[in-house]
Amino acid sequence: MRRPRDWFFWLGVCYLIGLVLFAVFGPIVRDIQLAPLAKSLDPTLQNYNSVYDKVSPQTWAPYGHPLWLGTDDLARDVVARLAQGARVSLMVGLAVQAVAVSVGVLVGVLGVLGPRWLRQPLMRFTDGMFAFPDILLAILIVAVLGPGMIPVIAALSVSAWPSVARLVSTQVATLKDREFVVGARASGASTWYLVTRHILPQLTGILLAVSMIEISGTILAESTLSFLGIGVRVPEPSWGNMINNARLNMNSHPTALIAPCVILSLTIFSLNFVGDGLRARLDPRNG
Amino acid sequence: MRLLKAVSLRLLFGALSLLFISFVVFVADEVSEGDAATIAAGDKASPEAVERIRRNMGLDRPWPIRYVESVGRTLRGDLGTSFSGTKEPVRDIIARALPMTATVAAGAILIAAGVGIFLGTLASVNQNRFLDRAVLTFSTLGVTLPNFVLAPILVLIFALQLNYLPQDWSVDRVAPDIYYLILPIAVLAARPTALLTRLTRASMVDTLQQEFIRTAIAKGVPPARLVIRHALRNAILPVVTAIGTSFGFLLTGSFVVETYFRLPGLGFTTIEAIKAQNSPVVQACVLVTGAMFVLLNLLVDLLLPILDPRIRESQV
Repeated sequence: MRRPRDWFFWLGVCYLIGLVLFAVFGPIVRDIQLAPLAKSLDPTLQNYNSVYDKVSPQTWAPYGHPLWLGTDDLARDVVARLAQGARVSLMVGLAVQAVAVSVGVLVGVLGVLGPRWLRQPLMRFTDGMFAFPDILLAILIVAVLGPGMIPVIAALSVSAWPSVARLVSTQVATLKDREFVVGARASGASTWYLVTRHILPQLTGILLAVSMIEISGTILAESTLSFLGIGVRVPEPSWGNMINNARLNMNSHPTALIAPCVILSLTIFSLNFVGDGLRARLDPRNG
Repeated sequence: MRLLKAVSLRLLFGALSLLFISFVVFVADEVSEGDAATIAAGDKASPEAVERIRRNMGLDRPWPIRYVESVGRTLRGDLGTSFSGTKEPVRDIIARALPMTATVAAGAILIAAGVGIFLGTLASVNQNRFLDRAVLTFSTLGVTLPNFVLAPILVLIFALQLNYLPQDWSVDRVAPDIYYLILPIAVLAARPTALLTRLTRASMVDTLQQEFIRTAIAKGVPPARLVIRHALRNAILPVVTAIGTSFGFLLTGSFVVETYFRLPGLGFTTIEAIKAQNSPVVQACVLVTGAMFVLLNLLVDLLLPILDPRIRESQV
């Protein structure tokens, strides 16, 4: 039977594909918005400069103004900023998750199968990292490194890897006693061969599912830092600092506030639904 | 005896966590530019003068010595002085900010625990019916909706449109303070409420399927007593643990909520100090926040054996 969760899963997949396209084609989104206007002015679509001149800079342009969502307090195109914010969010999310998975897998595997003297210290260090609540460590690191995209990626990576490491180490600990691994070891496989050929391929599914959910956490953390004014530096748009910027005028100009709120919430919903859906799909117990 | 061993192990782990946090904060201080000496010397001091002051303050000694010293100072309650013009002791700044954060966090966790356990229980006894679905949908929203999205929505509705509640904490407050705290507490409570609701529901659904519940039904225990005394008492343990961990969400949330509603609490102080590059204040705030997180989780872990005789018996 098709459950409602399936619908959410596929809606989430579609939304995420749309978001990636939106981010990739962000730079031309302004041209697309102005195209109908350009047609009405000049059917040959050749003189873009004159089109831009017609759309004179105007603060707080309402939605539906040639620019779909109007402009903000500094006459900046809201749609174009959303697209740029999508790039920032996806870039931070993917970069952080790449670092977290690499470090987490390395630590998780070494913590179970590494040299004996290294196992305990590694796993205790991982446990120690959990002593920090969610975003506190990231805030401390950003405070040291200063605001900006690279410090944010660094800070969130440091706080993201321990949960990957913990997941990998528990999975490896159970997998290493399964028959197919023991069998491979008995027939003379080295630890390196066991890990790369037998154990890690088993983990790709669960890591992919968990990554979706962790990326949503990272995107949320990035926009939180940017909202607080200690994330992505201000002229660079991020959904977080767009929300912070627009809330001062939210009673008179709600569009500039609602747009980033909606796109951020939908992104987080979608990543969670897709992650949950993937996990359910990949879980052999549901097969 | 085993319980004593378990408790002392847990205490030791808590102490180690605190040491770990203080060490990370110390390392952060080491790698950041500028130290107490450069600040004490002022902007116009020559490098030689800074070096002299650094030697006088004992900052040129090897780091392990200074780390042990800093731990000693922290334990005595000395958190250094602020870099800002007033040169106020950081301890006073923290002491001023802490009550606000504690009030809002305590209010939020009380609401979250009350509403969460109530809604979760309600959903579990109406499993798979409309009420259950409604509660689950709402809690999904509550878990995923960021609090800086929820805050403007609530402000837009309750402060700007309906004009029931003040928009944020202002300096000249006309109404009693509690009115200014309703919206912040509501926003802060949203996520833990949703989490506790889901957890209570899951735990109750599990418990309601067990045999002793069937026995109780067969015995003719009245429904209300069955749900509260028999099922909820057994299902509540993971929820209690989660209340401890959701304190972490409250801390994260308090940065956003305090900044949004301009509440002069610990989160607001931290963010302002980061923007002003006032590192002693930042480090003290991180240290205090981290310590509260560790201590609260410790408290919950020590509370569990009191609530559950099975843990008392079987504690490793």
